[in-house]
Amino acid sequence: MKKLTKDTLTGICSQMASHDWSDAEINELVDPQLGIITGFQDLLDELEVLRKIDLGTTPPALTVQKR
Amino acid sequence: MTTEVAFDTVRGLKARLDAREITPAELIDVFAERIARHNERSKAFITVTDEDARADAAGLSADDLAVSPFAGIPYASKDLFDVQGVLTSAGSRVFHDRIATEDAFAIAQMRSAKAVSLGKTNLHEFAYGATGENEVYGTCVNAYDPTRLAGGSSSGSAAAVAFGLVPAALGTDTGGSVRAPAALNGLVGMKPTIGRVPTTGVVPYCWTLDHVGLMTRDVADCADFLGIVAGYDPRDPGAQNIPVDNYGEALDQDISGLRIGIPANFYYERTDPEILAAMEEVKFFLSARGAALVPVTFPDLEHSRAVSLTVQMPEALSAHSAYLQDRGDLYGQDFRAGLALGQTLLAEHYVRAKRFVEMYRQKTNALFDDVDLILTPATPEIAQKVGTVKTTRNGVDEAVGNAITRFTTFFNMSGHPALTMPCAMHSEGLPIALQLVGRYFEEGTVLRAAHFIERDGAFAIPLPDVDG
Repeated sequence: MKKLTKDTLTGICSQMASHDWSDAEINELVDPQLGIITGFQDLLDELEVLRKIDLGTTPPALTVQKR
Repeated sequence: MTTEVAFDTVRGLKARLDAREITPAELIDVFAERIARHNERSKAFITVTDEDARADAAGLSADDLAVSPFAGIPYASKDLFDVQGVLTSAGSRVFHDRIATEDAFAIAQMRSAKAVSLGKTNLHEFAYGATGENEVYGTCVNAYDPTRLAGGSSSGSAAAVAFGLVPAALGTDTGGSVRAPAALNGLVGMKPTIGRVPTTGVVPYCWTLDHVGLMTRDVADCADFLGIVAGYDPRDPGAQNIPVDNYGEALDQDISGLRIGIPANFYYERTDPEILAAMEEVKFFLSARGAALVPVTFPDLEHSRAVSLTVQMPEALSAHSAYLQDRGDLYGQDFRAGLALGQTLLAEHYVRAKRFVEMYRQKTNALFDDVDLILTPATPEIAQKVGTVKTTRNGVDEAVGNAITRFTTFFNMSGHPALTMPCAMHSEGLPIALQLVGRYFEEGTVLRAAHFIERDGAFAIPLPDVDG
């Protein structure tokens, strides 16, 4: 998987249905400065690791729990 | 006297009311005066409804005061809970004009219990982020050291109780937003089983993971509080129609024979050594009192934060879609950046993350075949300085918000009830806390073990010196 660039995100947001995001907001995803969220590249790297884990037939979580 | 009242427990205040040492209206005066004195520094409250509270308190009859353990007791709620006729700002400019037309479920329960709402507390904008930083309403500070963060996102609820401005407060917990700030401020914080307290009337952040949570000075108050706000509301599709236990009933039982799971992985890496030492003391105490300590291994905790974020941000974006359209320029920059992240994740990422959540639920449930409770540290670090961006432990950098909730996030996904409580003081003068986790809808067992630890006294911490 190639490293994510600002141009890629700008392209996604301009070429697909999307809210308007400023340059600074897109920048925060590729170079996080606010200390709140994981950087987007780090998250994508983790998701790529998770993609390789076999979940078998596990469905998405629903809300209902049992006692 | 005033300070004693301000830092008394709900049960203590109730005894004062019953003994007619003080009236409900006088109680409101005590706390309203403290809010006026401390809110500039603590930034705990966004809206103070002291006039309404005085009127409500003055109207309480003797019969009203016998209705519940919270009758006549002031409390606060995070400014995501609708209180009829009051602004629900969600800590944002976006909701600067959103006056609630009816009470949230939990608020209605408190109103029926004759508790008195004293105001709405500060938070990280729309509950996004664990630092509690808020560019509109200010950043709540820690009662033990005002140069440190209170933590969030229920920062104002934690600060309000810790500064002695109310004896109890409601918050919300999507990744630890009640338990972590409670831990950092020396309070008891609990998120019950998902679905135990309906979220009706609470501004949503992430439907899959949002829980209503509670903050109090001690465990008994937490048990009484939960007994009031727990219930069923068909308007919340996630709410469970299960009878509410009498949580106070079993509080005084001992813990002999309880099997307590001790995680073999994750919780003891990249953690402050003083926190680890405090946990060893707790483990020794529990074992010496007859509990069996059983090693347990969690599934995939290392990636759980990524899974949580992948569920959170698309759901938050969806919840905010209409407001972004109309009021997008009123959002804070950090939340907008988070929403932008939600925009650019793939649908498959989201669905896969939800499948991981289901796997976490199944595997965590399986752990409870062998144990009654699980014990972990509440946070890997004590409260950090205001403005801190990253923490570094063992050479690994971590965004401070991630560090604050590293040990709590998983249980929002698994949905199990979890409570944090103080268990030691750090050499830097800040609280250290533990976390207890129980089976679905077995909050009573969690509270019983927590009460047992608390009442021993060996783990008690001093009150913060906020009036000095």
